[in-house]
Amino acid sequence: MRQSMAWIHGWLGLLAGWILFAMFLTGTASYFRPEITRWMQPEYRPHAVPQAEAARTAIAWLQKNAPHDEQWTIYLPTDRTLSTRAFTRARPNPDPKAPRAPRRPEVRLDPATGAPIEARDTRGGEFFYRFHFQLQLPHPWGRWLAGLCAMFMLGAILSGVITHKRIFADFFTLRWSKGQRSWLDAHNVSAVLALPYHAMITYTGLITLVVMYMPWPILANYPKPTAFAESLYGDTAGQKASGQPGRLADMGRFVEAASAEWQGARVSRIIVGNPDDASSTVTLLRTGEDRLNARGASITYAGVSGARLAASPAPGPAVETAGVMLGLHLGWFAGPLLRWVCFLLGLTGCAMVATGLVLWTVKRQRPGAQPFFGMSLVERLNIGAVACLPAGMAAFLLANRLLPPTLAGRADLEVSAMFWTWFGLAALSLLRPVRRAWIETLAISALLFAAVPIADLAVVGGFPTDGLFVAFDTTMLLLAATLGFAAWRTAAKPARAAQPRRRVPVEVVEVREVVDVA
Amino acid sequence: MASAQLGGQGWSMAGRSLTALIGGYAAAAGLATLLARLLPVERVEATAWGMILSFLFYAAFGLWAFHEPRLTRVAAVIWGTAVIAGGAALLLGVRP
Repeated sequence: MRQSMAWIHGWLGLLAGWILFAMFLTGTASYFRPEITRWMQPEYRPHAVPQAEAARTAIAWLQKNAPHDEQWTIYLPTDRTLSTRAFTRARPNPDPKAPRAPRRPEVRLDPATGAPIEARDTRGGEFFYRFHFQLQLPHPWGRWLAGLCAMFMLGAILSGVITHKRIFADFFTLRWSKGQRSWLDAHNVSAVLALPYHAMITYTGLITLVVMYMPWPILANYPKPTAFAESLYGDTAGQKASGQPGRLADMGRFVEAASAEWQGARVSRIIVGNPDDASSTVTLLRTGEDRLNARGASITYAGVSGARLAASPAPGPAVETAGVMLGLHLGWFAGPLLRWVCFLLGLTGCAMVATGLVLWTVKRQRPGAQPFFGMSLVERLNIGAVACLPAGMAAFLLANRLLPPTLAGRADLEVSAMFWTWFGLAALSLLRPVRRAWIETLAISALLFAAVPIADLAVVGGFPTDGLFVAFDTTMLLLAATLGFAAWRTAAKPARAAQPRRRVPVEVVEVREVVDVA
Repeated sequence: MASAQLGGQGWSMAGRSLTALIGGYAAAAGLATLLARLLPVERVEATAWGMILSFLFYAAFGLWAFHEPRLTRVAAVIWGTAVIAGGAALLLGVRP
């Protein structure tokens, strides 16, 4: 049993490892999605207003700029997200052969005025969040690939646990500078230390997109598949437009009414269906920030008359379980301290995947043997993922500060900066011997992260006083230090590893160096 | 044992992988759907249970496919489950 599981564990981890590393790293960053967006728009200083007022100003802007849309979705500001975020969906083209309209980008509005916020254009933290499960691939391929990798991860976790004989002892075991043994220890410590977290985050990640990955149970129970979502959110989500014009009632009143019904809990989201129609609907969703279940209750009103049409039923055990799983994955419930703990646990996930990938190569290295093609491939891809992706993420943040704030298309240029840096650095590292490539790419990543706070101070001017900016810049320095430490350890390794091997014949040592060059 | 088969029998490995990846998904989807259709609880609850548990089924089938040495047995159980559970769910049709 253990042997077969060890074999599966190695292959599952290897095949999905590089993508999993990217998913873990960008997902970990996404715990601070609103904070990253705020850091990336330093000139934006919002005025906090009551939720009802934010809803009114957002509706006024949408009525002026997208009056005939099929649906508006408005995310009201929270303590962490200071702007109102709006997504709009145009009515589908009546011609069935016409291509589906592309998804429109999010609009960030000032809660006080309702005007689009005046700050440098950027995708912000939303970019890492989207990349985390869409991998910058066309829909739906990115999500399918992410799901497949998550499934491999689940298999790797389960087989890893079965493989592991000394799960408790390894919790305390980390032997530095012992070659393969150290990599195995590091892999075990990072994995076992946070095992419940890793298992949880993988399974709940699959649950976030379960309707896409596993829709079959819905088909067995509902003649119309959309009815499942409607039964979760109340009945009227799919109501048709009447064709008669109608004007929405005061949106602030809806927010106040729903909030009162939830004993003062806040509204997270407003969905307006057919906003210019006499049969418009307004659905308000309760915030998930004060409880584990992220799928909050909802109430639907008639948009014109304001009559209360429906409310989501109290969830049963299964729906509650799914909602809590979603909440555990998103981490909205976490206050500042718990959020940092989640962030650190996410980093142990990155460490687990990275050390596992390195372990795969270290285990198969034979002193003096030419590395076979697969080995070189794995080594190079390891460098490209583990050492070069952080450089790309730092470049994304650096580009935010270095590109002129008013430059046209700068949001897309920031994204390009990430991919050019990531893949460019990975391509350049092919020119260097493996060990040098590790050291140099890690060092470049460290330098880029260290440059982020410097660019912040230089461009924004003066030391930041806002706690968020101080924390962000400090975190960048810590990440730079971590990557620098990794580069230093890699560089220091030959000297230390040579010590216990003093009797190794000189020729073999030379051959090892040749191997590194090859 | 599974590793021993990697060297000599590439085809058997490919068959095993496909059975785990696609057959495992089909079997998990079939079981989850059947469960969702038959659980004597509310429609929305039964659907949610089926969906929540489906990935556990998938992982179990996938790992077992590489653990069991006899490929014929792996294929029979996994594809058999997929056909029987999926077929039963199809025959039962949508919950009235």
